[in-house]
Amino acid sequence: MGEVIVITSGKGGVGKTTTVANIGTGLAMLGKKTVVVDTDIGLRNLDVVLGLENRIVYNLVDVISGSCRLKQALIKDKRHPELFLLPSAQTKDKSAVSPEQMIKLTDELREEFDYILLDCPAGIEQGFKNAVAGAERALVVTTPEVSAIRDADRIIGLLEAGGLRNIQLIVNRLRPDMIARGDMMSVDDVIEILAVDLIGTIIDDEQIVVSTNQGEPLSGKKSQAEEEYRNICRRILGEDVPFMEIREKKGMFRRLSEIFKKQ
Amino acid sequence: MKFPLHGKGRSGGYARERMKLLLVSERIDCSPQMMKMLKNDMIHTVKKYISIDETQVRIRITQEPPVLHADIPVRSKRNKG
Repeated sequence: MGEVIVITSGKGGVGKTTTVANIGTGLAMLGKKTVVVDTDIGLRNLDVVLGLENRIVYNLVDVISGSCRLKQALIKDKRHPELFLLPSAQTKDKSAVSPEQMIKLTDELREEFDYILLDCPAGIEQGFKNAVAGAERALVVTTPEVSAIRDADRIIGLLEAGGLRNIQLIVNRLRPDMIARGDMMSVDDVIEILAVDLIGTIIDDEQIVVSTNQGEPLSGKKSQAEEEYRNICRRILGEDVPFMEIREKKGMFRRLSEIFKKQ
Repeated sequence: MKFPLHGKGRSGGYARERMKLLLVSERIDCSPQMMKMLKNDMIHTVKKYISIDETQVRIRITQEPPVLHADIPVRSKRNKG
């Protein structure tokens, strides 16, 4: 029986879809049969981040309405044999699906897959309610900004009120240089404010933009952010992976200038 | 309201303190304005029975589990000052 994990945030633009694409790819690379589901009906995104946009025939709404079988709508990622995508519909809106239908769908996916990752739409309306209905675990994505943190707190409250207790936090887009000079909240600050368990931190890394442009998550060889995504995947599997230190990467010039300053 | 260290290089700490205050009040559905009213009512009630130092009254809510703390210094005949 697979595990259904919803990735949610409240606020839009904090990196939910990117997180789903990277964690989904990472779990598949670790040999786990994984499906990523885009539940943002009307605003399809996950397909393009994964580079699978040209292969869509059927979508989530087609499956739920019975227009096609589940197997027909699942897109197999040729680069990762264990990774599948269930894309969202572009033409319908969020009312095309009910929480009961989502529970039925996730139950069906549980039979087939080890991990089912649900990419939740922003907001707290119908789309959010649909996405969390079938989930047994939630990863809340936030950034160290006041707006994202406030929304994350709201989302955590709603998840708990709905009976979902297995909630973990991902703090995304950390800027070590800004934290070092006191102009950004640290991971410890965010955890203290939100009072929730941490599963991973992701630094603000250009490689993520590059990988997304190419439609190839986790393709960077020496990227810290991608390393952090891989660590999150191992923690999802239950491994005890130590947290990476969030430190500023120093270039050659910076190091040299520091040496001269000391003298 | 301005925090003492507000300014460049300190905005992270400023954000943290703002969020702590805001989220505590949002979680219990009690706005900062209502907290002020609560404080005034408490001072008013206690004052009816004992002599207190109104200027030093502090109320705050700690999390996990949420508890309302009120520090109300009482004026005693023996401890002057």
